[in-house]
Amino acid sequence: MAEQKKVRFVIERQDGPNEKPYTQEFDVDYRPGLNVVAALMEIQKNPVTVDGKRVPPVTWECNCLEKVCGACMMVINGVGRQACCALIDELAQPIHLAPARTFPVIRDLLIDRSVMFESLKRIQGWVEIDGSWESKDAPIQNPYTAQTAYEISHCMTCGCCLEACPNVGPQSDFIGPAPTVQAYLFNLHPLGKFDAPKRLEALMGKGGITSCGNSQNCVEVCPKSIKLTTYLAQLNRDVNKQALRNIFNK
Amino acid sequence: MFNTTFYVRRLHSLCGLVCLGAVLFEHIFTNSMAMGGPAALNSSLAMMELIPKPIFMGLEIGAIAVPLLFHAVYGVYIALQANNNPGRFGYQRNWFFALQRWTAWFLVIFLIWHIFYLRIFTKGINGTPISYELLQAYFTSNPVVAILYVLGMFAAIFHFCNGITTFCMTWGITKGPRSQNVISALSMGLCALLCLVTLAFMGSYFM
Repeated sequence: MAEQKKVRFVIERQDGPNEKPYTQEFDVDYRPGLNVVAALMEIQKNPVTVDGKRVPPVTWECNCLEKVCGACMMVINGVGRQACCALIDELAQPIHLAPARTFPVIRDLLIDRSVMFESLKRIQGWVEIDGSWESKDAPIQNPYTAQTAYEISHCMTCGCCLEACPNVGPQSDFIGPAPTVQAYLFNLHPLGKFDAPKRLEALMGKGGITSCGNSQNCVEVCPKSIKLTTYLAQLNRDVNKQALRNIFNK
Repeated sequence: MFNTTFYVRRLHSLCGLVCLGAVLFEHIFTNSMAMGGPAALNSSLAMMELIPKPIFMGLEIGAIAVPLLFHAVYGVYIALQANNNPGRFGYQRNWFFALQRWTAWFLVIFLIWHIFYLRIFTKGINGTPISYELLQAYFTSNPVVAILYVLGMFAAIFHFCNGITTFCMTWGITKGPRSQNVISALSMGLCALLCLVTLAFMGSYFM
């Protein structure tokens, strides 16, 4: 029988939020269709390094396993992407795994992405439906912008765009492309558009859309192929108009 | 709520393109007269001297010094917010993003040297008028100076031309990738042209 083919993983690990990172190497039995999450599950079953040392299993996060939830975003061979759809057959080996350090690392490959949730709250990434006003039937979506809204609604706040953006990180207060562009989604909504000025005001603040430096990495790395730069430019247009309204409507 | 960040950012973009763009074009235009020999450049410089002194000083301070200082100081603050990563993400726009910041750092140093030596020390303190002969002696006596000046011009030209592309994005003029790519190609064409003009007039001092 032919010898079992192995896949070598070089994993950047970290025991806690303030601990020093270190690397460990693992071998995983190859099988057709193997992806990074499945390989990490194999390592979890038998956490033995290539040196034969038994170590604590590698921690990471995953959920849907079909590129919808965004939870398993990690840096694979230098680029932030979803581990569940990273097929071993399409990756250069040895495969390097690292946490997306744009976000605080909790342990190993597990990161804290809650900063994006805070940003979504800041741009009012929801539609106001509860109020003292009368609610009738749901309004229809504009059929001409529904396609765009559907596209932006695919955003799973995975954070790939923030990881790639040179203007996101501890050195900057930029909220990043994903939460910024969500403002446009809710501004397109037939009810959400009533709060458009509020969202644009939020984007005009510190760390808002003005912190975008047009490096356009976001649109290159988005796993959902959302045309982020197009909507950022649209929002730039919208905040400029909002600024004119702020100046001349008073 | 008054969004200071927004207005300061937009002002930074506007004064870079309009004021400093005009200064750059004035420099390229006047200096290109050197290709016509000493008489052409000197008469062009003399023409500028015809502008009444108070107006000239007002322009130098109001249209050059103040916008330049603001653009430079706030630009340093912007540049410090970037963690340039073209090594990891080698896309063209990301390289230009990093180059925009690298040329900015070089220009801060270069312009301090250029303004202090030629404008403040030579013309201001010593009272020596800038002329073809002075520039030729300055550039040809030390090729390092000439090379640094060519690099300074290249940096300024690239920073300005790439600035046109990002200006159009920032102001929401070009929205989709096609229009952004067209503007980018046009501004890089302008960049190449202005760099060639620079090489031509700088080379003419050595002919």
